[in-house]
Parts: sequence; C-alpha cells; structure tokens
Amino acid sequence: MTEMRTMNLAALHNKLLRSSGILFFLLLWETASRFTWVDAYFLPPCSTVAAEIVRLFGDGSLVSNLAISSVRALGGLLLALIIGLPLGFLFGRRLVIVGEILDPLLRIASQVNPFLVLMASTLILGFGESAKFFVIAWVSLWPVLFYTTTAFHTVDPYQIKIARSLAVSETELLAKVLIPSALPTIFTGIRISAGITFFILVAVEMLNATSGLGWLEHNSAMNFEIPTMYAAATVIVVLGFLLNRFLLSLENALFSWNASSSTVTRSAVREEPKPVWRPNRGAAMTAAAALALVFCAGGYELRKVNAERSRELAGPDLGKHARHLGSEVRK
Amino acid sequence: MTVIDPTPRARTSDVKITLRGIGKVFPLNKTPGAAPREFVALSEINLDIRRGEFLAIVGPSGSGKSTLLDILAGLAPINSGEALIDGRALSGPDLDRGIVLQGDSLFPWRTVRKNIEFGLEVKKTPKQERRGVVDRYLRLVGLTEFDNHFPHELSGGMKQRVALARALAYDPEILLMDEPFAAVDALTRETLQNELLSIWEATGKTIVFVTHSIEEAIYLSDRVAVLTSNPGTISHIIDVNLPRPRNSGDLRSSPEFGRIRHTLWQLLQGREGRA
Repeated sequence: MTEMRTMNLAALHNKLLRSSGILFFLLLWETASRFTWVDAYFLPPCSTVAAEIVRLFGDGSLVSNLAISSVRALGGLLLALIIGLPLGFLFGRRLVIVGEILDPLLRIASQVNPFLVLMASTLILGFGESAKFFVIAWVSLWPVLFYTTTAFHTVDPYQIKIARSLAVSETELLAKVLIPSALPTIFTGIRISAGITFFILVAVEMLNATSGLGWLEHNSAMNFEIPTMYAAATVIVVLGFLLNRFLLSLENALFSWNASSSTVTRSAVREEPKPVWRPNRGAAMTAAAALALVFCAGGYELRKVNAERSRELAGPDLGKHARHLGSEVRK
Repeated sequence: MTVIDPTPRARTSDVKITLRGIGKVFPLNKTPGAAPREFVALSEINLDIRRGEFLAIVGPSGSGKSTLLDILAGLAPINSGEALIDGRALSGPDLDRGIVLQGDSLFPWRTVRKNIEFGLEVKKTPKQERRGVVDRYLRLVGLTEFDNHFPHELSGGMKQRVALARALAYDPEILLMDEPFAAVDALTRETLQNELLSIWEATGKTIVFVTHSIEEAIYLSDRVAVLTSNPGTISHIIDVNLPRPRNSGDLRSSPEFGRIRHTLWQLLQGREGRA
C-alpha cells in the first residue's frame, strides 16, 4: 500500500519535473508581456491568447478552419500513399533495376524546395484546391516512397527462404512474410510524411489560400489581429505535437514485437510478454468512421468557404477584401 | 526429368535421398562482351542418404555446404546430375522437407505459437487441429509457457528450439539443418544437441546436418560427409560407429571419438596422404 503510494508520488514528481520547462516558458511569456519587457501589442500575454483560442473555438471559426486543413492534409497524404506504397513495393522487390535507375532522379525530385513546386503547380493548376493537394502530396510522397522501397528491399532473406522452402505461393509470401516484415519501416515513413505534411500545409495555406489554419494565422497577422495570430499559431504547434505523439504511440502499440525499432523501448528481461495491439474490427471501423467524418465535414466546410470567397471576389471592391475577411473572423 | 535407369540402390526402400553427379555453377560476370566466367560451387556430388539416417556434412567455408542444402530443399536448381527423394526427381520445395537455418530466422512479428504454426497454415491444416499440434511441439522443445512470447524476448537457445519446432510441426520426413547451433554458446549448444538427438530418435526423421564443427558432426551423426572446396565435392564419407544414446557419459572423451575426430581433422586439412 505505502509502496504503491510512493510509486505514484514518484510518477507524479517525474511528470511535474518533465513539464516544468513548459510551465516556465508559459510563465516567462505571461510576465514578459504583463510587465511590458516586450511590447504587449506584438506579444500579448499567453492568457489573452488562451482566451482568444476559446473565443475562436466558440464562434466556430477554429473548428471550420481545422476541418478544412485536415481535409487538405489527409487528402494529400492519401494521394501520396496511393502512389507511394505500390511504387515502393515495385522498386523494392519487383522492378529493383528500374528503382535503381530512377533513384538519382527521385532523390533530386525529393530535394526540390516545396515552395518552388507550389509556384509551378499554381501556375499550371491555378489557385484552386488541386494545386494545394498536389504540393502536399508531392512533399509527403518521398518519405513514404523511400521507406517503403527500403522496407521491401531489406526483408530478411532467411525469412523468405524459410517461407519458400514450404512452397508458399507468391500471394502467401506477400501476405505472410513481406508485408508484415516491411510494415514497421513503412509506418515510420508514413509518420515522417504526416509530420512534413503538417508543416507544408500551414505554409501552403499562408501563401495561397483563403481558409485553413495557416490562412487564419497569416490573415490575422496581415490585419494586425495579433491575439488571433498567436492563437492560430499555438493551435498549429499543439496539433503538430499531438499528431506526432499519436502516431508514435500507435507505432509502439502496433510494432512492439520489433525490438530493433528505435522508437520501441525495450527492457533486457521481461517477465510478462508485452502485449502487441492487434487492431480489431471495432478499432478499424472507428478509425475509418473518424476519417470519413473529417473528410465529409472538412469537404463541406471547404466548399462552403470557397463558394463564399468566390462570391466576394466577384464583387467590385477587391481592395476591401482582406480587411473584410479579417473582420469576418472577428465576428 | 524422368528417371530412366535408377541405380539399384536407389530402388531399395532404405535409401531416402539419392544424389548422382550433382553439379552447380554460379555465373560470375554478366558484362556484355566479356567472356562469361563461372564459379563451380559443386561438382560430381554422389551421395545416398538412408531413411532415418543422421548425416552430417562438414567442410571449410566456401565448400558449398549451404548450396548443397539449398539443392536438397529445392531452392536452388542443379546444373547437372540428378537428385531423387524416394526415387522421384526432386523438382522444388515441398512440405516433405523442413529447414532450420543458422541464426535468427524466426518471424519476429509472430509469437512463438504462431511461428510454429506457420507451416501448418501453409499446409491449410484446420485451425482447431493446429492448436493441438503446436501444443505437442511446444512441449517437445520445452517452451510451453512461452507460447505467447515474441522472438525478441527469447534467448538464442530458445529461438533455435522454436525454429526446430517450426520445422517439425508440419511433420516433414526430412529435416535439413544449416549450422543451426552456430550462434549459441557452448553449453546451450550441447543441450540443444542432446535435445535434437532425442527428438530424432523419437520421430525417426532423416536429418541432413551441415556444420563446420567436427565434434558436433561426430557427436550427432551416423555418417559424416567431408566436403572439400574448389570445386566443392564430397571427398570422403566417414562412418561414426559410436554407441547410442550418445548422451550417456562423456562420449567426447572416448578414444574412438578422438580417433574419428583426428581422421576428420586430417581430411579437412588435406593431409590424409601423410597420416
């Protein structure tokens, strides 16, 4: 009993210690602004920013822009997966020579600055959503493609040999050996892609959009709605962090059998086997439903906002446009 | 490949595997224009392996031990000669042979139970039947309590036990083992050797066991085939007339064991002429 209490206290202590950096930062932010060590107009105290987040959440603009951003990110990532996964399998196992021949080209392509891609795709595809999808898909394609290629290329030859010695069919080999063996590495690629997607999404929305979290941040900055700008920025940072955390823990739960994985903590001796979470039908359905909901809600918002914006753009006074959009967020 | 005139010995029921004039070459360079060169891995391999026999193959690195085992597993096509199992031409991998490889060839995403079950899945054994079979082989290798563990949670010796159980579970008639105990410590290795012997005695499998350890070959087998390199060919086959069961007493220190060990050592050094 006392032992358990000591353990809980130790855990709590550890938690407090680990979050003390964050608390200190927030405190510094608040005081620096309150005591006007910096200009409070350009750096409002974090309590003001927190209140602004609550207000934005209350008037629906945060949810609306979040849904729009999610649709763009997920759509782009999905496109990257649809192209990257089969191509990675081909380059890793079936058409290895082709993969090797194309490798320099692909490496150079992956190094092309996304902003250059954005410029080009805007010129070719216009200011609509397809240019944004294209850039996001372009950027998130590379980790998925390279990690998938490596994953399939480096499947343990002994494991393949064991399966082949049992005269398995090609389909069985794929389903029972190649895919399970490649999955952890592929998932790491997807996690990295998701992170990059989030970065580039915000950038794309800042430069080239009339909706989304990046736009919310950029537009409020342009209109000197400073608390809104910080609120949007905070939401973006926290979301990016949570997304990464979520994918990491999902990776740990799914692939805890993979002792060589760097993200999996391992102990030398373990009395009880660590459970490997096998997603059951319920979990898969929930995930699919959540994704579908995000797509529907985000798609609806996106259409609505784009329609509104085009009506406004058709109006005579384009000069008022930016200010008008700003005040709309304020409402 | 049809067998027109099988040798009389191949017809007799006590021969399980027959190798006649087996040759295997690997192309070395495929540069267009350059003269094609090839590496002769195996040449003129002649070997009869009896049903239920424990045959060891020893030889230096690069003598083609593993290639020979790959041929027996049906994983490497031969360039000349013929390979027969039960008098029928060996045409590819099949469930009548099980392989155990050196090092860690377990499927890390599968638990011990699911690893052992692998062959049964491929064999399309019904699910409820599989459970009992796996339980039996878990008991046989003494890993009943570890059935839900993942390979990374096991010691080297335990992993090799699982690999052995995985190869035995779908009940092949022949076990092909490629230096299975090379990566475990000396004490564990002796334990595993004794376990393998008692499993062999209980199941009556035909075992072909590739090793680079002379002692291991003598301790386990009925006969030892000596492979020499460049090109890989069987230079001698030595009978091991040591009493069984071999785990009673310190067999390794007996004079007969020492005599065979010395003979094999000389053969592998290429000094048989001076002995």
